[in-house]
Amino acid sequence: MGKLKIGIIGCGNIFNLAHKNALKNIKEVKVVSCMDIKAKRAKEAAKEFNAKAYTTLDEFLSQELDVVEILTPTYTHAELAVKALKSGKHVIVEKPIALTSKEAKKMIDIAEKEDLTLLVGHTRRFDKRWIQIKEVIKKRNMVPMQIRKAEVQRLPFPESAWYWKPNKGGGVAIDLGVHVTDFLRWYFKSEPVEILGIGKAIRKEAQVNNTYDHFLMMIQFEGNKTGLAEVSWAYSYPARYGVFYHHLDILGKNGRIRYTPLDTPVVGVVKHHFEMPRFSPLLSAFPEAFEAELRHFFRVIMGKEEPRITAKDALIALQMAEIAIESAKRGEPLEFKGVRE
Amino acid sequence: MINVGIISYAHPHALRYGTTFASNHKAKLYAISGDGANADIARTEAQKMKAKFYSNYESLLKDEKVDAVYIAIETYRHKEIAIRAAEEGKHILLEKPIALTLEDADKIIKAVKKAGVKLMVPFNPRFTVPLKKAKAMIDSGEIGNLEYIYAISEYVKPPIFLEGLDMSWFLDKNKSGGGGFMDTAPHGIDSLLWLVNDEPKTIYASIGSKIFGFPVDDIGTAVLEFKNGVVAVLNAGWANPKGYSYGLEIKYYLLGKEGFLDIRTAYPDFTVYQDKAEKIYWERADVSGIVNSFLNSIIEDKEPLITGEMAKKNLEIILAAYESSKTGKLVKF
Repeated sequence: MGKLKIGIIGCGNIFNLAHKNALKNIKEVKVVSCMDIKAKRAKEAAKEFNAKAYTTLDEFLSQELDVVEILTPTYTHAELAVKALKSGKHVIVEKPIALTSKEAKKMIDIAEKEDLTLLVGHTRRFDKRWIQIKEVIKKRNMVPMQIRKAEVQRLPFPESAWYWKPNKGGGVAIDLGVHVTDFLRWYFKSEPVEILGIGKAIRKEAQVNNTYDHFLMMIQFEGNKTGLAEVSWAYSYPARYGVFYHHLDILGKNGRIRYTPLDTPVVGVVKHHFEMPRFSPLLSAFPEAFEAELRHFFRVIMGKEEPRITAKDALIALQMAEIAIESAKRGEPLEFKGVRE
Repeated sequence: MINVGIISYAHPHALRYGTTFASNHKAKLYAISGDGANADIARTEAQKMKAKFYSNYESLLKDEKVDAVYIAIETYRHKEIAIRAAEEGKHILLEKPIALTLEDADKIIKAVKKAGVKLMVPFNPRFTVPLKKAKAMIDSGEIGNLEYIYAISEYVKPPIFLEGLDMSWFLDKNKSGGGGFMDTAPHGIDSLLWLVNDEPKTIYASIGSKIFGFPVDDIGTAVLEFKNGVVAVLNAGWANPKGYSYGLEIKYYLLGKEGFLDIRTAYPDFTVYQDKAEKIYWERADVSGIVNSFLNSIIEDKEPLITGEMAKKNLEIILAAYESSKTGKLVKF
């Protein structure tokens, strides 16, 4: 088998901040096509890889491609993935798998029917920090019983951005929520049974768009384990305090592990004000995580590895976030049935 | 000068309150009684502190020179002794939780009102320097509207014997009312009520014996929604491993609309590194703050900062958390 031929759909934020450099480092694949509805973006991306630029999907999909990477706003994932799968391409899609679990199920069904691979970019599972902490838990015979995982930031985008639109990005409960729900399931190695969600609209951007920008989930897992997921776009510090993003606190049998924002490598800079410069283009992940994720995904597609996270896992992460939002609306904890269906 | 009597060393806090009263220039540690667990320690402490020793609280209460008492007996005996102390006209500093039930709390409050004495229940965090600063910042609007609080109020795995004290009654629900959550959550709840300055609307909790296999709970998580919209999470219990550097750890993240506060451990300390790391506290502003507040309420004849009603409200919330954990349902107030 020669190099896998990769096509990119969506040459915006996550492509430029994460996937572009990761793909350049992976010699086993070749990016041959870049598509974006904005011609300028498609052209710029294509130039990076000596690839062809496209602005229409049909033209893009008519090319010979092994894998399509979908790096577009959440609400477009399902339609694009279905079309790519139906034209015989394997699909790697950014998280969340889709805007709704109904759409996600359809994507999974079609991938199965077409006998193609569908993989979802849950980058946390490839971040060395979380991998190493999980290994320490195992090696030291710890059993997590309560985990608080927070991903908090101040979303730097204006109120017109798709992130803020419930029908485009799903708000913080979906967009960051799926990271944390998946993280808790991954760490607890057990399934959720009951979820309480509480949402708030703190910033004007959230209020005018009728969405949550601060969301708390308390999730009961099998085995009397308790997960706390806190996701927020409403924290008040500016992006230059980039290290204050992840919080992890694990209490369990045989010990406790705590990863605070200040455990992240930090350079404190004092000028007329104090700042801690970002050491990664993204607040949330080391750049290596994307490269590790994509290397693994390509090996899965080539049949050389079993997926460390499946599309089904991504679906469950989304279902948990959906139930949490439903719980927040109803004001009571709700039973989680997704996994057993 | 206020003559203070300590009733019982069942609760280990009696050691620190004993030395704190003894060193306060407004008070004299006048007498100690040896009821409940650790009667022998009570006797030794009385000798050390040059206080009168009574083998039971009745004779201490009959001593007319005693103006005020600090009651540190097993929780299930709070009602019995607090009511007797009020009847004898003594002002009362009563260990938390106020009682095992709301009915008992009511009876204590009623007896205190009838006797016209002061009643205070000690909750520590609001007497710590960092939290006082945070409260002032909230009240002055420095971080905008308060939106969200994450609070930790946790102790390490309790030894059954601490500095020679027998603490086994903490593991007997009939005597203590519950385990780690009952022991540590009242501190967190008090500080939440104080910071939010409103009452909770709902609570949802998971509390259990999840870590060490004690007959009582050792860890609890509660989510509260307040009437004014503030959401709070409280982690409380004894879930920390023995090697944890802190004893009682009190910690908060406060999110306001225009600011974020990271409030770290309540007690200033230094660290000794040998085979293990040990934190040693060089100041307990919270305990001296409680003692001063109690003494001032007597001297100036005013309400203590934490009243019986507040302690009852605190217990109501704690009991609701246990109820939610038991039923798996949200409890509405």
